[in-house]
Amino acid sequence: MKSQALQELVSRIFKDEDSRAQFISDPDSVMSQFSLTEQERAAVLTTHSRLGVVNSGSPQLAAAIGPMASWF
Amino acid sequence: MWYKKQAELLREELETLLKLLVDTAGLYELTRKALTGAGRGIFADKPDSLPWPLLPLMVCETVSGRFEPALPAAASIQLLKTAAEVFDDVEDADSPESLSSRYGPALAVNAATTLLILSEKVLAGLKARGVEDSIIVRIMESISSYYTTACAGQHLDISHTGDLAVTEELYMKIISLKSATTAECACYTGALLGQAGPDSLDKFARFGHNLGMMSQIVNDIQGVTGGKDIIRRKITLPVIYALSQTRGETYRRLERAFSQETETAIQPGQIKDLLFQCGAVHYSVLRMELYKQRAAGILAEMEAGFDTGQLKQFLE
Repeated sequence: MKSQALQELVSRIFKDEDSRAQFISDPDSVMSQFSLTEQERAAVLTTHSRLGVVNSGSPQLAAAIGPMASWF
Repeated sequence: MWYKKQAELLREELETLLKLLVDTAGLYELTRKALTGAGRGIFADKPDSLPWPLLPLMVCETVSGRFEPALPAAASIQLLKTAAEVFDDVEDADSPESLSSRYGPALAVNAATTLLILSEKVLAGLKARGVEDSIIVRIMESISSYYTTACAGQHLDISHTGDLAVTEELYMKIISLKSATTAECACYTGALLGQAGPDSLDKFARFGHNLGMMSQIVNDIQGVTGGKDIIRRKITLPVIYALSQTRGETYRRLERAFSQETETAIQPGQIKDLLFQCGAVHYSVLRMELYKQRAAGILAEMEAGFDTGQLKQFLE
């Protein structure tokens, strides 16, 4: 199922450098502008703490997803 | 590690079955080749990969303290899954490493058909493992139901190959049917063989489903970050997000890159950069995290009754 609020949040984060910087410095403030569920908020915060803004490949991203894809 | 013994026993289960084909020139080698490789149950996986083929065993042991009753079912699921992958390679015709590319579609289809038949035959071993007839029937019925659902997902997937207009809702439905059901089947089967009650059966099934969704999205992310899916013009979650959120020249470049009808040479590195820069990878990571948290939540619900420690490794 698509999450409209999550899509809108990501679209905002990646709109420009200022938006990205605002999210990095205060993710709760930015998230409060969107109708996210509690689970979505938790997913955003967990990803933020582990990977920051995923705008390029990184060892952290590779480590986060590496072993999990081998079922398919 | 815990699962070295279990992996060896699963390999023995599969090798014993394949020996039925030893006198058939070439077929033994082909079916064995199909089962080769990480995650396919015959040869040792890489040390850092997750023991996916052992999922039914792990769930069975989580429920009952014993994994042995689940060995024939785990073998059956591996055979079915491998058959499905061989058929998928024939249908996609885009993998030079596939059985179909190396030996031709006719031999590949026959090898996959053999794997399908063996997947049913191996379930006869459940009786020797002490499983009651009524449970064996339920196992056969549930595995066949799950994989019928997977075929429905595959049908949708094939029907929408190269469709730039595919929505996220449809795509999530496709991977739910095609991919997540196989992980759900593995968990449900293991729980059934562990003689879990109805409530626990439901929880293990839902855990498996969320695990499968998570894993497929991870596969999608790797497909674009590694470039493989870009080269194949495969439309997956990151691409669907990007096509829905971009405009102007960025959209046109993505459209050309993933259109089956254009012969424009793809620059995978540039397309990958576009997908990162528009937030497509970040969005996919968030979706993956959602399913991971749901799976973790279900495990947490079961902690009062079961030691779910082994299953948590799939989420860590």
